[in-house]
Amino acid sequence: MTRPFGVKGKKRKHSQSKQYSEEEHQQPPPKKAVAEESKEPSPEPSPEPEPERESEPAPTEEDELSGIPIVPSEKNSTKPNVIFILEKASLEVAKVGKTYQLLNSDDHANFLRKNNKNPGDYRPDITHQSLLSILDSPLNKAGRLRSVYIRTEKGVLIEVKPFVRIPRTFKRFAGVMLELLQKLSISAVGKREKLLRTIKNPVTQYLPVNSRKIGLSYSSENLVDMDDYVSTISSNTDLVFVVGAMAHGKIETDYTEDYLAISGYPLSAAYCITRITGALERKWKIL
Amino acid sequence: MAKSSKRSSNGNSTDSNKKKKKSKKSGPEGVAMKVKAKSNKSNGGGGGGSNPFESIWSRRKFEVLGQKRKGEARRMGLARTLAIQKRNNTLLKEYQQSAKSSLFVDRRIGENDHALDEFGKAILRSQRERQLNMKLSKKSKYHLSDGEEDDFEGIDSLGRDDFEEEMLPDDVDAETHEEIDLVQRRMQIPGENVVDGEEHRHKSKKEVMEEIILKSKFYKAQKARDKEENEHLVEELDKDFTSLVHSEALLSLTEPNKMKALKALVNSNEQSNKDHIPTSRKMENSVQEKPDDYDKLVKQMGLEMRARPSDRTKTPEEIAQEEKERLEQLEEERQKRMVAAEDSSDEDNSDSEKASEQKPRSLSGDDLGDSFSVNEQIMTKKGWVDEILERKDEDSASEDDDGEDSDDLESSEDADEESDEGLEKHEKDLSLKDWEQSDDDDDIGADSEDGDEDDSDEDKQTDSEDLDGVEERLDAAVHIKAKRDDSVKNVKRDKDSSNEKKINVGVKQSKESDIPYIIEAPKTFEELCSLVDECSNSNIILIVNRIRKSNPITLAAENRKKMQVFYGILLQYFAVLANKKPLNIELLNLLVKPLIEMSTEIPYFAAICARRRIESTRKQFIESIKKSESSSWPSSKTLCLLRLWSMIFPCSDFRHPVMTPVILLMCEYLMRCPIVSGRDIAIGSFLCSMLLSVFRHSRKFCPEAIMFLQTSLLATTESKHISDEDSQLYHLMELKALKPILRIHETVNAISPLNFFKIIDLPEDSSFFTEVGFRASVLVTVVETLQGYVDVYKGLSSFPEIFLPILRILNEIEEQKNMPNSLRDKIKDVAEIIKLKVDELHTLRRPLQMRKQKPVPIKMLNPKFEENYVKGRDYDPDRERAELKKLKKQLKREAKGAARELRKDNYFLLDVKDKEKSLLEKDRAEKYGRAKAFLQDQEHAFKSGQLGKGKKRRR
Repeated sequence: MTRPFGVKGKKRKHSQSKQYSEEEHQQPPPKKAVAEESKEPSPEPSPEPEPERESEPAPTEEDELSGIPIVPSEKNSTKPNVIFILEKASLEVAKVGKTYQLLNSDDHANFLRKNNKNPGDYRPDITHQSLLSILDSPLNKAGRLRSVYIRTEKGVLIEVKPFVRIPRTFKRFAGVMLELLQKLSISAVGKREKLLRTIKNPVTQYLPVNSRKIGLSYSSENLVDMDDYVSTISSNTDLVFVVGAMAHGKIETDYTEDYLAISGYPLSAAYCITRITGALERKWKIL
Repeated sequence: MAKSSKRSSNGNSTDSNKKKKKSKKSGPEGVAMKVKAKSNKSNGGGGGGSNPFESIWSRRKFEVLGQKRKGEARRMGLARTLAIQKRNNTLLKEYQQSAKSSLFVDRRIGENDHALDEFGKAILRSQRERQLNMKLSKKSKYHLSDGEEDDFEGIDSLGRDDFEEEMLPDDVDAETHEEIDLVQRRMQIPGENVVDGEEHRHKSKKEVMEEIILKSKFYKAQKARDKEENEHLVEELDKDFTSLVHSEALLSLTEPNKMKALKALVNSNEQSNKDHIPTSRKMENSVQEKPDDYDKLVKQMGLEMRARPSDRTKTPEEIAQEEKERLEQLEEERQKRMVAAEDSSDEDNSDSEKASEQKPRSLSGDDLGDSFSVNEQIMTKKGWVDEILERKDEDSASEDDDGEDSDDLESSEDADEESDEGLEKHEKDLSLKDWEQSDDDDDIGADSEDGDEDDSDEDKQTDSEDLDGVEERLDAAVHIKAKRDDSVKNVKRDKDSSNEKKINVGVKQSKESDIPYIIEAPKTFEELCSLVDECSNSNIILIVNRIRKSNPITLAAENRKKMQVFYGILLQYFAVLANKKPLNIELLNLLVKPLIEMSTEIPYFAAICARRRIESTRKQFIESIKKSESSSWPSSKTLCLLRLWSMIFPCSDFRHPVMTPVILLMCEYLMRCPIVSGRDIAIGSFLCSMLLSVFRHSRKFCPEAIMFLQTSLLATTESKHISDEDSQLYHLMELKALKPILRIHETVNAISPLNFFKIIDLPEDSSFFTEVGFRASVLVTVVETLQGYVDVYKGLSSFPEIFLPILRILNEIEEQKNMPNSLRDKIKDVAEIIKLKVDELHTLRRPLQMRKQKPVPIKMLNPKFEENYVKGRDYDPDRERAELKKLKKQLKREAKGAARELRKDNYFLLDVKDKEKSLLEKDRAEKYGRAKAFLQDQEHAFKSGQLGKGKKRRR
């Protein structure tokens, strides 16, 4: 694959590890404890985080109200993160007529039937919803999401950075996915940073070492209350949740340690993710 | 044609044959078949599967639904054979030809056409031969061929030129009628027609001549017929016209005398018609040749009936011009009357006027309309302007006298004016530009007269103050006294005016009718004074208005200058008027309107005037404040001018070249003037109310006014103590010992509203200011003004801090025992309002808190993607670069392709050469072998001794 014009410097391949570490630094410090402390304003600022605060970027607010002390905020460089994996997502590109399109059950039902496929299986909207509910959660806004991986039905593995703003409308989402599956990466507007890209299988090579991999399935015998379950996990292990983004069926992964059912009813992927993020936010006190 | 069509059909057939052949060949299967056919000749045509060994497949990574990919399975063997064949046909031939010096080209008909068999070729050839024969026979019949055969190739078998077809329509266009006629005629003679149709070109001379003759005859007949028709039409028209005239429908359209002419005309025409119709045409012709009455008439009517443009709407300049002209007219008449009056009695005057008026009318042929020749004739030879000026001088002289008289009648102040006038007389020589100066000088005079403000005499600014006073009265009075007072005021004003009237009546009534209609704008203050003196209020306004109308700015550029001078003078007049002790309020009020209007016309100049005056007023104020013995509060003139400006200029602007200094000046008065007497408090509260009216819309906070109100309230209490909180408010103010000036010792029976102008007129030490009634009424105004401020500053968040001290004082005052009930209620109301508002604001206030930092969310980035992304398309926004890239890619591809082809060509040629070489080698080897065999054979025979025998035997 040739690189786009104007790219200079080292290739990503070589500087990959370095970039990752940079990214971690670039991620703005999560403000988890801020809200909590705001409830009971301490009259005197705690002396401890003085040096840290200087580096903290809050110039605009200081301009507005100079003289009034700011409530100190915490940094979390060592806080556990969470990773989501969407399995069996149905993202497939096909040539419909003269153009390539992301197949979905609404627009391409006839085309799919002609090709002996079940239109009910082509549901990229599930992926869209799930991505939205992950990336819009306060959990992500607080910087506790490390990344999202999507594995399509065809086995393509896509990495989604946590700071992507996924298009709100499905049509635009389909446009992004279409381009991603053809160009294999999507960069940010005005930057060369890659927001979405296809990566090599298997997904396990990207997961942190001591992470806890949890698969979710309605079919599981292990029905738990998510809040309770999360509270049992020790507070410094990273979490990996594997959720199916397909219409029917069950995820089959070999790397998951637990299989959970978090409701007595079959849940949509998006709602399931909402529950997970909700439980994590409560646990980590993110409001 | 037929030939060509045949040819084309032949071509087509061959083409289709070719196509068929090609279609047979071109499909891969076909080629495969061919290849197979080569390999095993038994197979003629059936469908056979492609050889899997000949094809190569490329593996696909992702199956994309609906995607068809070209060349997925490439058939290498087939492609190779095709390429070799192609080279055999091209490259090989070239190679073989390369060593040859000449080339045999087969031009036999149909020989290159592979689709044709022998029979088809034969048919083609025979056709060609026949065609050539035909052509030759035609031509050679009449003239010998001299190598021009080629020229006639375009002519087909019928001998018609291709070009002729295009020419035909042109002929038709040009001579349609002719042709039609000719054709019609020829239809009668079929033989001719046919010949004509067939051989258009070959007309004999005779025929042509015949045609021409026919044509000319035909045209003649046509002309004659047209003429007849025209005559008929003319006759009919004539008849119609006479009937129309008789029906008198035209009467409404034309004038009666025209009608007569028309009728006469018609009659004559009728007669002539009657005469002429039976007679021959020649007669008519002669009639037509005469200059026709009817024609004349028509022309005349055409000229007359033109529509005239209606009056367009007038531009403002024109309106002004008309107004001016009207006034000039009136003036003219008036002067006429005046002159006549001088000469004789009124009746005579009117008579003479009439006579004079009639005279010019008779002369009016040369009159230009706006010239005043009539007057000049009657009066003097001078121009009208000079006249007016003269007259003015006279007037002023007389007026001066009158003024003196009136002054005598009026109060002592008028004496001052006289002195002013004296001064002014000295300054008459001053040029126009110095008006301001002269104004100042006048003011000095005025100041010296006034007595109140004389302290600063040198400054010329007093004048400006004079002007101000006038207008302010109106509104100021309103504010101070509130609505109730209006009636009282009116009464008072009436009284004032009546007084003036009384004064003026005797003198002026006789004059009233004498106001000139055209008044040149006065250039100096004295001029104005002399103009205005002794006139009643309404007349003064009339004079001012006439001056303005007779010098409209819109008309002439120099008028602007005039009006600016006049504006300055008028302002000065206003100021002087405001400084007179018994204020002529009515006149002041009336002057406000023209002043405002004029300052909208010359806004820049008005602003300059105002600023000058403000500056001088302030200088004077500073001077006066240094001398503590006299009160430095503004005079009535200053007050009036301040009020005038606040009416002229917009008060609500954040920054205004005039209003900002005005406000600052007022605030300074409030801050720095020591409060000594009740009069000071009255003036101060007036200033406060004026400030209130200024700030009502802009809602700017004015601490000075609030402070003053508070101080004046404090003056009601006898408590000397100024608490700590209060004192911090007072650091702004230069507080003089504040006596309880407004303290109400005794019970007050009734609170009478104050007339501010009356107060201003009163001397400082008047006993009125110490009366309890005055105190009560001042208190009322103070409280009401305070209420106004409370309303205006409701929205301020610092409201409690501003008004709480006042609330305390109010409560204190309210408890005083001598307070009249109505006043007490009023105070209570205001206190209540303040309290409510303060409470409300207090409840709204939040305690101070630590600043909370909102958690900063991670920064989200939008993905960049294209709508309808197509793979392979370059989405580089720089189109040029994209284009360049594309071209480079193409170039590279082409270069690669070309190199590959060349390489393959070389291989092919090498192959061919190899083959040749091997063939030669083989040949040579064979020859060599043969020779060798022969020699061996011979040797063998020789050795064996059978020489010749074997050979012989073999042969």
